Amino acid sequence: MSASALQVARTGLDAQDTRMRVISNNLANVNTTAFKRDRANFATLTYQDMRVAGQQNTSQNNYATGLNLGTGVQIQGTSRQEEQGTLDTTGNAYDLAIQGDGYFQVLLPTGQFAYTRAGNFSLSSQGEIQTSDGYPIQPAITIPQGSTSVTIGSDGTVSAIPPAGGNAVQVGQITMATFPNAQGLQSIGGNMLQETTASGTAQIGTPGVQGVGTIKQGALETSNVNIVTELVDMIECQRAYEINSKMISSVDDMLKNANQTL
Amino acid sequence: MDRLIYTAMSGMTDSMNRQRVIASNMANAQTVGFRADMIASTPVTLKGPALEARAMSDGEVRSADMTPGTVSATGNPLDIAMQGTDMMAVQANDGTEVYTRRGDLSVSPTGVLTNGDGLPVMGNGGPITVPVDAKLKIGPDGTILAVDPTNPNLQPSVVDKIKIASTAGSQIAKGLDGQFRVVGGGILPADDNAQVSVAALEGSNVSASQVMVDMLQAQRLFDIRTKLLSTAKDMDQSGTSLLRQSAGS
Repeated sequence: MSASALQVARTGLDAQDTRMRVISNNLANVNTTAFKRDRANFATLTYQDMRVAGQQNTSQNNYATGLNLGTGVQIQGTSRQEEQGTLDTTGNAYDLAIQGDGYFQVLLPTGQFAYTRAGNFSLSSQGEIQTSDGYPIQPAITIPQGSTSVTIGSDGTVSAIPPAGGNAVQVGQITMATFPNAQGLQSIGGNMLQETTASGTAQIGTPGVQGVGTIKQGALETSNVNIVTELVDMIECQRAYEINSKMISSVDDMLKNANQTL
Repeated sequence: MDRLIYTAMSGMTDSMNRQRVIASNMANAQTVGFRADMIASTPVTLKGPALEARAMSDGEVRSADMTPGTVSATGNPLDIAMQGTDMMAVQANDGTEVYTRRGDLSVSPTGVLTNGDGLPVMGNGGPITVPVDAKLKIGPDGTILAVDPTNPNLQPSVVDKIKIASTAGSQIAKGLDGQFRVVGGGILPADDNAQVSVAALEGSNVSASQVMVDMLQAQRLFDIRTKLLSTAKDMDQSGTSLLRQSAGS
């Protein structure tokens, strides 16, 4: 149909709209602990073959070039940008930041595992280390009630001075998960990610060993959203949207003109 | 009735096709490594015994505009931007080697290095497979280095080298999947001196202002061609009314 320029421009509007949503989600999460910004990836839609190059024009001639018309664009997906966020010192004993690769493993109420880099943990009434949503860290670590001076080493060793006093004893060991393709993890909200076939299976390791990142106690990883970058992207996206809508009105004017003149 | 209307109509169709190409370019203004399509219209003169006054307009997408797009740093170690007229070799869905400027690479769950279109990147001998648990680095010449996670202090091992092909002297054209192929078949030679910018991506080469101007131009041309049709209609009507008057008198 001759109005397909309208459809092509519409794919552009749709894609910019989706991109704006990704940008606004990034901006909304600028203060979310350990949030990783998403990037919207555009991909060309398939081309439509109106006339094949080499097709016969007359009995003597062939067309030297074809007429392949593009059908627009689509958002192919979003990719999480895994750059490390800056570490913000809080001084809270249960705030843990990961420097380098890896995720904390937590147990969801559904019995499934989820992975997170947001280390704003707290203690449950039973003394178990849990996320702010109340999901216990896996393997579970319980701090005996009344313990003092809880320290978590860069290798994940949790030690505390028992209620009776004396020397600090080890009460647990935090392990971390790494993935062959961390970009394939699925965000399930609440700072949590879940394993998918694309991410590969979780490999559990000790912090600081074999490429796994280290733990920094008393600090939190901030979001890696850069406000300036997002604002520039937002303006770019807005302009692109405007041009695409201009195209729609331009083609509409053409059709209107044809309708009224003829 | 005059054949003028057919000539004008071929022009209107051409203008519409032109708008479509412009719309598609515009829509892809943010597709990584996209190359704008260029449409060219040629008059097709009807040869015959009569006066050759009828030149139908016929548009065709001649080629893609190969001007480089803006390169911007992304910080992602697997993003590469090609320089000059070089292109990266990838494997199309039909198994053939095709070329692209799209360098946002990632590793699939099976360890195949793919670009943003999901096509496997070609190395020295076919698609590149990397160890899934290794940290990858890309050298400025396209060499892929893998750092063993168990021994991060060891020298990284060379996995393969991305085939960066030189397009100099070869005619390439965009296929229906948006990837570039050598016209008439065949593959491009690897450019041994090729350099890539690592942690950077090349944007689309669509210029927003150019696209706006093209769009307005196509719109106005369409309007003029519509006018031609309407003029033909008026002429035809006046001719018919003349006949009617003479019949009535």
